[in-house]
Amino acid sequence: MSELVIETTGLRKEFRTRSGALRVAVQDLDLAVPRGGVHGFLGPNGSGKTTTIRMLLGLARATRGSMRLFGEPVPHRLPEVIGRVGAVVESPKFAPKFTGRQNLQLLAGSIGAPGGRVDAAIETVGLTGRDRDRYKSYSLGMKQRLAIAATLLKEPQLLILDEPTNGLDPAGIREIRDTIRTLGQTGVTVLLSSHILGEVQQVCTSATIIGNGRLLASGQVEDLLGAGTSYRVTVPDAGVAAGVLERAGFAVSTSSPTGLAVESGRPPEEVTRTLAEAGIWLSELTRHRPDLETVFLELTSGDTLGRREEAGR
Amino acid sequence: MRWLLKVELTRLRWRRAVVALVAACVLVPAVIFAATAWNTRPVSAAERQQVQQMIEAQAQDPYVVKEVQRCVARPHRYGVSQGADVRATCESRFVPTADGYYGRSPLRLDTEQHGSGIGVAIVLTVLLLIVGTTFVGHDWNSGSMSNQLLFDPRRARVWAAKGAVVLLAGLVVAGVVLAAYWTGLWALARHRGLEVPDGALSGAYRQALRATLLAGFAGLGGYALTMLFRSTVATLGILFAVAIAGPLLITLLGFPGHERLMPQNNYAAVLLDGIDYYQEPTACLGGDCGAVRRHLDPVDGAGYFGALLLVVAVPSVLSFRRRDVP
Repeated sequence: MSELVIETTGLRKEFRTRSGALRVAVQDLDLAVPRGGVHGFLGPNGSGKTTTIRMLLGLARATRGSMRLFGEPVPHRLPEVIGRVGAVVESPKFAPKFTGRQNLQLLAGSIGAPGGRVDAAIETVGLTGRDRDRYKSYSLGMKQRLAIAATLLKEPQLLILDEPTNGLDPAGIREIRDTIRTLGQTGVTVLLSSHILGEVQQVCTSATIIGNGRLLASGQVEDLLGAGTSYRVTVPDAGVAAGVLERAGFAVSTSSPTGLAVESGRPPEEVTRTLAEAGIWLSELTRHRPDLETVFLELTSGDTLGRREEAGR
Repeated sequence: MRWLLKVELTRLRWRRAVVALVAACVLVPAVIFAATAWNTRPVSAAERQQVQQMIEAQAQDPYVVKEVQRCVARPHRYGVSQGADVRATCESRFVPTADGYYGRSPLRLDTEQHGSGIGVAIVLTVLLLIVGTTFVGHDWNSGSMSNQLLFDPRRARVWAAKGAVVLLAGLVVAGVVLAAYWTGLWALARHRGLEVPDGALSGAYRQALRATLLAGFAGLGGYALTMLFRSTVATLGILFAVAIAGPLLITLLGFPGHERLMPQNNYAAVLLDGIDYYQEPTACLGGDCGAVRRHLDPVDGAGYFGALLLVVAVPSVLSFRRRDVP
């Protein structure tokens, strides 16, 4: 088993609303992010993603549960590991009247980073030429780039990015995705919180899906998608074929007089053999693989909550 | 900690509002200095001549002449003893003197300690309190506090570094301005050929030191309060409300010794090396019903402000360490 960079056990966050009502933002969340690669962190708005990230980074206190970064318990040992963690939480937050460069210089100064690292970070995110402009004059995309530049000041081993492509133009999105992918390949662990499911599918090697503060599924992206794979089968008589397959233990639904949908979990040759043994010759068998959006919507719809949890783990 | 202090000092230097307030810390005392210099300016020859003419005219006034004559004739009725120079004494009673016409006194360092010196100290205290407030209020308003904590999550250290920089900057600004103010007044007095009494300058510097401490710690207090309320507007609003309603409430409650709790009395006690105030008796049962004179020494005043600072700073640190940061 690979070493875990992020680990939470039974993590819970409660707070009181202004009306005095108790609200649970995160419920007994067990999160495990292995070293290396890009790990997606998915969930609908208000599902507890940002709260979880904020607790990991010491910005919010956990009500219960334990957290570890690089094996060290946080927040107690956070000062020892924070130098290895770069993070953008929610929208970028900098002093609006300072220039982009001044903002980075202050952050670099607080950890004693050499001045050259500011130049390098500005160049990496493509802000050269605008770095001496006030932050408040930046577009949303430029603010996002500056936030990413700030994470690079530490030369981090773990990057926590909360919606990093928000506000970027298509070229900027591609650049950031490429940067994230490259970082993931060079040994940096990236936790990418995003609501753009296509982005996670493109960039991430593994993912965790949460809803209402609870873990719904976690694992390799391939496994999460694979658990939802089905076969589309075309036969002369769908009704007869469905009966044969059901008796053999397959979950089947009829989509047309000649079409069947067969739930996966068993290899496709078992489908062909079962039908052939019954004297039914199929004319077509295609693998139907859902995209992450389908899996996500299915998991977060509520009526199937937790159904894929075990399969995905 | 060294890096943090350096960064916070840079942040303070780069804040335009802070720079403007520091400029005001120099400009307002400069205006007070100019006003003091003008109000104590030496009497010119023309003024002197004009006043002399007015005095001579007054001396010729029939009423004055008549009264002087009556006084010389019956000095005992006017409280003038026979043995003295009766005419001169009687004239001094009825003929106005030049000082009464000039309307201003020459510059005196010991007098200014109870006048413009207090004004400069109050101005610096208020401005540096706003410096402490606005400096960190900006961090909260922009949300950059959370970004800072992502680089150094040791919140107690962050609080201490920011507070140390506010205190240090306040002490330096107030110290330099007050030293310049009193040195300037001393130089002006010397330039005008006025005699500076022994100990007047050292007394002024002692007051400057006390005012520097009050102003520096006021900045720290403003900072601590803003770290607690996380908003410049909220802090200034609360300070304004307390400044208005606090003394009113203390007076209305009317418990014995409430003068001791008045901020202005304690401020004056520190600044002026102790003050006397009068306390009304709680009950008057036929005995001595007059107000009782009390003394408030500078240590009492310092203790009062120290306690206030503690009451603000301790919850401020605890709250910053424990509360979630937006």
